[in-house]
Amino acid sequence: MPVVELSYSRLQKLVGKVTKKQISDSLPFLGLDIESEDKDLVRIEYSPNRPDYSTDFGIALGLQGLLGIKTGAIKLNVKKSNKYSISIKFDVPKIRPFVTGIIAKNGKIDDKTIKQLMTMQEDLHFGIGRKRKKSSIGIHDLDEISFPLVYKTTNRNHKFIPLNSEKEISISEILKNTDVGKDYGAILGNSSKVPLILDANQQTVSFPPIINAAITTVTTKTKNLFVEVTGINKEDAEDMLSVVATVLQSAGFALESVKISGAKNSTPKLGEKKVPVSPELINQILGLNLNTSKIISALKKSRLDASTKGKDIICIVPSYRFDIFGPMDLVEEVALGYGIQNLEPTLSPSQTLGQTNPVSLQLKSLSQIMIGVGYLEALNSSLTSKRVLYDMTNRDTDKIISVLDSKSQEHTILRDSIFPGLLENLSRNIHEPYPQKLFETGTVFTLKNPISEKINFSGISAHQDANFTEIKSALQSALKTGFDIKIETKTATHPSFEEGHCASVIVDNNSIGMIGKVNSKIIENYKIRVPVVGFEISLSESILKSL
Amino acid sequence: MSQVFHDIEKKIIASLKDNSKQTPETLEESTKLSPDQIRRGIEWLKLKDLAIVDESKKSVYSLGKNGIESLQKGLPERRLLDLLKDGPRNLSDLQKELGAVFGPAMGLSKKNNWIEAPSGQISLKNPPSEIPGEKILSQIGSGKVSERNIDKNDLLVLLKRPDFIIEDVIKTKEISLTDSAKSINLSESSGAIDVEAKVPEVFVARTHPLKDTIDEIREIFVTLGFSEIIGNITQSSFWNFDALFTPQDHPARELQDTFYLDGVMAKKIATPEQIRKVSASHKKNWRYYWDINEARKMVLRTHTTCVTIKHLAENKPDEARVFSLGRVFRNEKVSYKHLIEFNQIEGVVVGKNATLRDLMGIQREFYKRIGITKIKFWPTFFPYTEPSLQTMVYNERLGKWVELFGMGIFRPEVTKPLGITKPVLAWGGGIERIAMLKYDLDDVREFYNNNLSWLRSATKCQ
Repeated sequence: MPVVELSYSRLQKLVGKVTKKQISDSLPFLGLDIESEDKDLVRIEYSPNRPDYSTDFGIALGLQGLLGIKTGAIKLNVKKSNKYSISIKFDVPKIRPFVTGIIAKNGKIDDKTIKQLMTMQEDLHFGIGRKRKKSSIGIHDLDEISFPLVYKTTNRNHKFIPLNSEKEISISEILKNTDVGKDYGAILGNSSKVPLILDANQQTVSFPPIINAAITTVTTKTKNLFVEVTGINKEDAEDMLSVVATVLQSAGFALESVKISGAKNSTPKLGEKKVPVSPELINQILGLNLNTSKIISALKKSRLDASTKGKDIICIVPSYRFDIFGPMDLVEEVALGYGIQNLEPTLSPSQTLGQTNPVSLQLKSLSQIMIGVGYLEALNSSLTSKRVLYDMTNRDTDKIISVLDSKSQEHTILRDSIFPGLLENLSRNIHEPYPQKLFETGTVFTLKNPISEKINFSGISAHQDANFTEIKSALQSALKTGFDIKIETKTATHPSFEEGHCASVIVDNNSIGMIGKVNSKIIENYKIRVPVVGFEISLSESILKSL
Repeated sequence: MSQVFHDIEKKIIASLKDNSKQTPETLEESTKLSPDQIRRGIEWLKLKDLAIVDESKKSVYSLGKNGIESLQKGLPERRLLDLLKDGPRNLSDLQKELGAVFGPAMGLSKKNNWIEAPSGQISLKNPPSEIPGEKILSQIGSGKVSERNIDKNDLLVLLKRPDFIIEDVIKTKEISLTDSAKSINLSESSGAIDVEAKVPEVFVARTHPLKDTIDEIREIFVTLGFSEIIGNITQSSFWNFDALFTPQDHPARELQDTFYLDGVMAKKIATPEQIRKVSASHKKNWRYYWDINEARKMVLRTHTTCVTIKHLAENKPDEARVFSLGRVFRNEKVSYKHLIEFNQIEGVVVGKNATLRDLMGIQREFYKRIGITKIKFWPTFFPYTEPSLQTMVYNERLGKWVELFGMGIFRPEVTKPLGITKPVLAWGGGIERIAMLKYDLDDVREFYNNNLSWLRSATKCQ
């Protein structure tokens, strides 16, 4: 979950008459988790579906609603203007065919505001922008740009001075040598033509989705902003724009429209949508009995507007709330406005009878029996390593199932056997008193259509007098008592066991596993100083009974 | 004295009364007890101030290879002096006759002024009557001798020379009775034993503590009317993500969060209708190109929700309570709070009258049964539920609220394409977190370390 850092005093100013405690008590009920606090600073985790909560401006709007200071939907006041336009004429960037934008004037920009806008931009890029692939934003100093603008493509040898640089460099160099170029250049693929926004003086404004031009850098002296969003579809680009527009309006800017034209592009409407919801659904899902006026007041606390139309409630959803897909999302908005803390849990009688899965029951019984035989239950990861599974035990590695890009070297391969893990356990306990007897039941994996999952059962015994007879007795008794199954052992060889002390375990003429004295080389490799005997059998085929 | 003694103690006391100073070995012989019993018995008597244990070290000497040779032929320097008895000899002749020992013999004899060698001719000068070390050779002879019986100075001379004398340090214990023990009358003590004495520890076999917690949680949900279902750990991305309305370009689906199986793709992932409807829902709501090959990629399930949703899609019940419990995986760095593989319980209630408050009620009841009463609910976000909540429970030991199970009602975008028509309440969470509270652990890795000292000591009934 993304995290945003805020200051309580700034939030108090933005929200209105409110104490610090009221804020910290209310944040969780907006779905915002306080991750840490340090005096005035607070770090807040927010949900990726609410990018408006990536700034204190957006969070303040939510708090105002929940605390009843200001309720109802936030209306965007966009002044229609003919001064600003972007056109796409002949040369549509195929990689990023859509552009949209807005003007924000007469705002006060201090360091903190710049920081908030930057985190919002980053979050939008990462979340709904899918790492800038779907859509990306550029925020510029309006007064450095001459309109009208064109959105077009250019060659990779086009040069301009990019953000945070002092000299002109080419697009190929930007992609090769700058961090953003390296991180996001792949979005442009191999195409020789890349997107570009140029102003009326042929000056580069932005090279989407990579970097802005240095000349339009926003500083604390900036008063007026131009925001552009480019993307692979119109709706997503406009969704992103609506979040920025809403946040900038709350930050005190006056919005003006930018005319967009050409090649399936058009001026963004940023309009609200109407979503009908029945009070019946709301009450049924929440288990409440609210009348329509209560429901409407709850929706308003969630910064939406609503009115009745016949039996239904028609909810007005501002454009930045694109997380609302349909009526069920409004049910949640009612719950939040009503207050989750006001929902009293109910315990309805069950209409069904519960049942433990027979496989779980049998495994539990087997555990109890093994404890009777004197074995302690161990638990190992099923995602383990080549070292434990194969190298230490001399086993064949022909059909390994590995995972991609594991962050831990000890966890890269799915186990096809439990026994190697138990051996590893012994090696980590050589200083503990003997005898040491362990068992484990669990899932093992093999490549088959595409993966076959079976339940195996393994036991191990280590002490001065450990021998084949002892381990065979243990397995024989466990299976006899647990499942009334009789086993036989037939001489066999296995790389993990000593020759002459190794057998396959036979049930009804089928081999279901191995038993024996562990190879002395393996014991030596593991620095275990006592003999070790053990077994591993498959329970899935002939032992466990399913429903 | 009204002391009672263990049989072992009685036998040791009786033997020491007969023979006041003994080693453990002689005690073994006289009492017929095992070395371990003797060791324990002595320890007990020492604790009660009835026995004194004198520990001492003693050196024992025997002859090494060169010592044995010298015992038979004389020390190298003696052999040289003997050869010179009858007058001066040629150096090369002596070398031939003495062989390897010629060098040391010459060196020593010259240093001590026993011989002189003006020009290739060697002759006696001041031959000694007794050479240092000769006496000790015969004293040790072919046996072993303790340091008390030999000449220390003589010993030191030969100890310095290689392989002449071997020194063994032997630790000895001598046990004797204290005065109060001497007055014990063993015949007065009854057949009673020392019931207050310490006894050896037995390491009981037991189920794994985490398994105990899993079983406890399973039982609670069964008694609340839920039936357990079991599903595969490896799943296609379709059931782990797509069926749960998680778009294919969602960050959670990336390699860095999810374990994908290298080169393993599912052939048949779902029915054609399920695939068609799920992909349509994605295209309509998330606006992107839905790729069936992305849905075929096999993953280690990131939650057990894939098992329940598959069950619901297959059975489409109007009324049901089911849960699934098992291992889930996240590609994270392993730390004291994160495992890459852990257990999750995940359950659903299907019913036409199922409500969010019912869902909260089931949670509250569950927590009450595992002994957690201070709980509250906060809103949260999951891609596949709406509304969504999380339970916060108060951890007395840490003095703060911690997040436990998440819950919600499956989104219509999840249920509708799969033909599920009634509301589905769903909840789930990690079991290790609950077990950590139960066993007062701060490091979640302890559950999978299989550290015997912990497994043998963790209290079963918490």
